Amino acid sequence: MSTLATSSDVSAPALRRDWPFLIASVLALAVLVTLVLIDGQPAAAALLMLGFALGGVFLKTEFSFTASWRRLIVPGQADGFLAGLLLIAIAAAVIVPVVALVPGFGGAIAPIGPSLVIGDFVFGIGMQLANGCGSGTLYTAGGGSGRMIITLACFIAGSVIGSLHLPAVLSIGGIDPILAANVFGPWGGLAVTWVSLALAAFAGVVIARRRGAAFAPPRKMVVGAVAIGLLCIAVFAAGRHPWSVTFGFTVWGAKIATAFGADFSNAEFWQWAGPKRAIGDSILSDTSSLTDLGMILGAMAAAATSAPFARNPWPPLKSLLAAAAGGLLMGWGARLGFGCNIGAFIGGVGSGSLHGWVWFLAALPGCVIGIKLRPLFGLSRE
Amino acid sequence: MRAVYAIVFAAAFAALVGQHLTSPSSGRPVSPEDFAGACAPCGAPCPSVQKK
Repeated sequence: MSTLATSSDVSAPALRRDWPFLIASVLALAVLVTLVLIDGQPAAAALLMLGFALGGVFLKTEFSFTASWRRLIVPGQADGFLAGLLLIAIAAAVIVPVVALVPGFGGAIAPIGPSLVIGDFVFGIGMQLANGCGSGTLYTAGGGSGRMIITLACFIAGSVIGSLHLPAVLSIGGIDPILAANVFGPWGGLAVTWVSLALAAFAGVVIARRRGAAFAPPRKMVVGAVAIGLLCIAVFAAGRHPWSVTFGFTVWGAKIATAFGADFSNAEFWQWAGPKRAIGDSILSDTSSLTDLGMILGAMAAAATSAPFARNPWPPLKSLLAAAAGGLLMGWGARLGFGCNIGAFIGGVGSGSLHGWVWFLAALPGCVIGIKLRPLFGLSRE
Repeated sequence: MRAVYAIVFAAAFAALVGQHLTSPSSGRPVSPEDFAGACAPCGAPCPSVQKK
């Protein structure tokens, strides 16, 4: 009897909820939702709550683009890469036709040129040093990683610096966005997008087979991909644009800099209509900020439901330096490259925009460099 | 780390609420892509427009 009791205790450890952080995260979400509802913005409330759900799903399924890409590059393991493609295919099923057929909805588009390629390459280096991309930074920082708070702070600083450089780099040249739906029609564009994803998946399987590595995503990863794909569609429905992350960071950074006396009135980027409006308005009026904030709170809540929150010791100084350098590079790169894995890759390919694939092809060699640099900071290559 | 985290969270949340209450907010949340001439998620203009 006592043996059974002991065995049961060991096999089913009690959940150790961290009530202060769990309550704080839910309460903070409730306050923000109330504030936007008072302003008559139900769509903003929806985006906050969808961000909250995204934070929880990312954390609980440990969905990571950075680790997936590293596994694809180093051992040739394609499981995470294929799960990412599945996520995009689900989002594209709604985004591509709706953007083409329903007025008021827009896709994630971007010009194709040196700015995109340079920015993405630098972003790729940064994401491997930081050990997280835009979404990864949000959910790990929200989930209690002090290291990723440093990445987030540097990501924000880097994106403001990038905003000051973007107009000059854009002036080098480039071509206007190319949307599959504009060339092949709404359903032809969706078919072309799905075919491009299938070809990428096939390439992933070939790489994995040649290197004797796994390519079938485990159940948890598939659940994460499907859930995040469906949430991407919900964010698109609420915000009328595909989910994006990094513009919010740029706005937060510019607002902080302005509070400390910085003047952006002569910066070309901040004279464009969208950024000019964003820097003057409430953060809770910006679609990407809303999902970002929700995601941080959702990850905090999810982390606090199962373990004491933020109890890990600080990592070594080298690792913190990598976090800072990675954040700066990602911030700068995301601004020049028109987003991160979410806004540019998922949003871009999911909208049938060619720039999404260019983003991927430029970020991949950056990741290779980043992986080679990781040991300098005491980080593993795998 | 827990104490640092709590301080950062509280300070950031207070700043967020403060700036919301002192800033104008539009009727619905907007993205830079909602504005005329935007060609990217950050609101950058299209290259064809820049050349003119």
